[in-house]
Amino acid sequence: MNVGATRDLRADNALILPAWIGLTTIALALSVFMGVVDIPPVDVIAALVGKGSAQARSIIIDIRLPRVLVGMVVGVHFAVAGFILQSITRNPLADPSIMGISQGATLAVGVFLLFSVYIHNPGSNTLAELPLAWLPSIAIIGGLLAGLAIYAMAFGRNLGPIRLTICGVAVGALLHAVAIGLIAGWGSARIEILLEWLSGSLYARSWDHLRYLLPFTVVGLAMLPLIRRPLTMLRFDSSVSRSFGLSHKLHFSLALALACCLAASAVGVAGPIVFVGLIVPHLARFLAGRRFALVLPFTLALGIVVVTLGDLVGRLAGGAEEIPIGVVTAIFGAPLLLVLLRRMA
Amino acid sequence: MTFALILGSLMAVAGGLLVGATTLSPTAAMRALLSPDGGIESVFVWTLRLPRSLAAFVGGAGLSVSGCLLQTLTRNPLAGPHLTGVTAGAVAPIVACIVLLPGVSPLAYPWIGCAGGLAAALVTFWIARGSGARPLQLALGGVSVSMFLAAVTTYLLLLSGPRMASLLFWLSGGFQGRTWIHLIYMAPWVLIGLAGALAARRIVGLMSLDDATAAGMGVQLALWKPALLLLAVLPVAGIAPIGGPIAFVGLATPHIARLLRADGPGWTIALAAALGGFLLVVADLLARSIAAPREIPVGILTALIGGPIFVALILRPQTLKGRRV
Repeated sequence: MNVGATRDLRADNALILPAWIGLTTIALALSVFMGVVDIPPVDVIAALVGKGSAQARSIIIDIRLPRVLVGMVVGVHFAVAGFILQSITRNPLADPSIMGISQGATLAVGVFLLFSVYIHNPGSNTLAELPLAWLPSIAIIGGLLAGLAIYAMAFGRNLGPIRLTICGVAVGALLHAVAIGLIAGWGSARIEILLEWLSGSLYARSWDHLRYLLPFTVVGLAMLPLIRRPLTMLRFDSSVSRSFGLSHKLHFSLALALACCLAASAVGVAGPIVFVGLIVPHLARFLAGRRFALVLPFTLALGIVVVTLGDLVGRLAGGAEEIPIGVVTAIFGAPLLLVLLRRMA
Repeated sequence: MTFALILGSLMAVAGGLLVGATTLSPTAAMRALLSPDGGIESVFVWTLRLPRSLAAFVGGAGLSVSGCLLQTLTRNPLAGPHLTGVTAGAVAPIVACIVLLPGVSPLAYPWIGCAGGLAAALVTFWIARGSGARPLQLALGGVSVSMFLAAVTTYLLLLSGPRMASLLFWLSGGFQGRTWIHLIYMAPWVLIGLAGALAARRIVGLMSLDDATAAGMGVQLALWKPALLLLAVLPVAGIAPIGGPIAFVGLATPHIARLLRADGPGWTIALAAALGGFLLVVADLLARSIAAPREIPVGILTALIGGPIFVALILRPQTLKGRRV
């Protein structure tokens, strides 16, 4: 690379930072300003600064804002988890929902809800209070167990990336079948809530959801700088990364655990939003091109943008019956995955 | 072996007549079976327990035939109705009809399911073809097709309102409350699939070699590939409206049949079908008696039985070499 090109890259870098901050802000603003209930932008701003009518304030402050923020955080979780998984498994198709981590978290939450809520009021119509504070942690347990299964297979049998992915698929399919059966089997009248959660939804997410999820986000993102260099190394063969002086097994497990925690805690709050972890790192890599250092920041930004805009589409397209974000991402994500697969072939 | 399994299935069906929410004594069950008199016991036997067990047998057999054919077609040990997207492809349009077009007669559901299953399988194969049906592409392609359809199905479910609980129970797979009409209605689809597969057993055997060899032995690939695919989709399309998607049965049984070293492709198919029937009868029996009087969806049990088999398959070193085991 000659000096001129380097200078170009630097100039780009200077532009890119404001550009992605701008893009993220626009996406967030759009989501707050647009919705099923038409509120003039002036009123939205008034509500945001604490003035305006009580109705506008309650819609903006209590409904839209927490929902958008939860979506943003969840988007970051899934995107980073996907990025880590794709790096450590050396597989462009890895994703929390393909590797079975989301399904593990789903099953754990399903079992937990079965025992904590529904066993006390079986088949009743009462709207039981969901133990929100527990959900992310419970989901993490499930996600880690699924991750452990993947880990055991990766090292116990010394699997390559391809078989590792298919093992994840198998574990995921198994856990998913059990989770669906479990939810269908107890036949509660509150099945709708669970089903919506199962498809990945940001409907009625409140400040409480954000409060319980945020600690995991902070800790997870704080870990990122620590594993950044190992993550780059893990992209190579285990023998190569070992020759760089990396303790492969240790860092692989650390990174896997981090990915599991990020993805699973997000599942606990918003349900498995499929394909975000798959698509976003690819888009980020595509946009970053040669600038490898920018892939991770792009991943973060695009995670926010994709989930926020996807949720906006789901809210606006469905009208009163909104389309869950997980359905939106699946509808847009699956064709992309198919194209990727076809190109790999 | 096959006959032993069919005998075993019959015994399981017979045993299934005795247990359930109310236990019957063998003599009472025999009496109700041989001379139905309209009493409570004969209702148990003839209306509740016998048809559903038989439906489970037919369903299991159909899924296994489908799995056999799909594994032969793709020369891929991981193929099965579930992982090639066929099941999801059959289920999604049926749900769409139930929710959006209530006017469509249930008699049309298998046809709709058949079209959907074929379409989904074709998309999956389109993705996998370029790589000579390598397992990864096939599995991931099928999974993403399934995920896509599952998302659509979930959205439709959310639109369905009060029918959601019953639809969801159907979607988790099961034979609760299935009657003779259901059985009669799905049996032809399974029988056509089974009979077709058995009739084409020579072709199936040749197709499990590679394409060039099969063509060299005089198999018209352009004709037989679509024909076998259709035969593979038919049973799933017939079973889906009745039993819902039942995971992992169609995937696991052909492998067990091959492990048992059935004598030739015809017997492999027959043995797999008998095994599938046996497996599902037992699973159904467990599903309704473990937590009686509540029902567990049979899909949980088949996933718990078939899932580990699937994982074990992947862990076998020869599985992913792109050749049939």
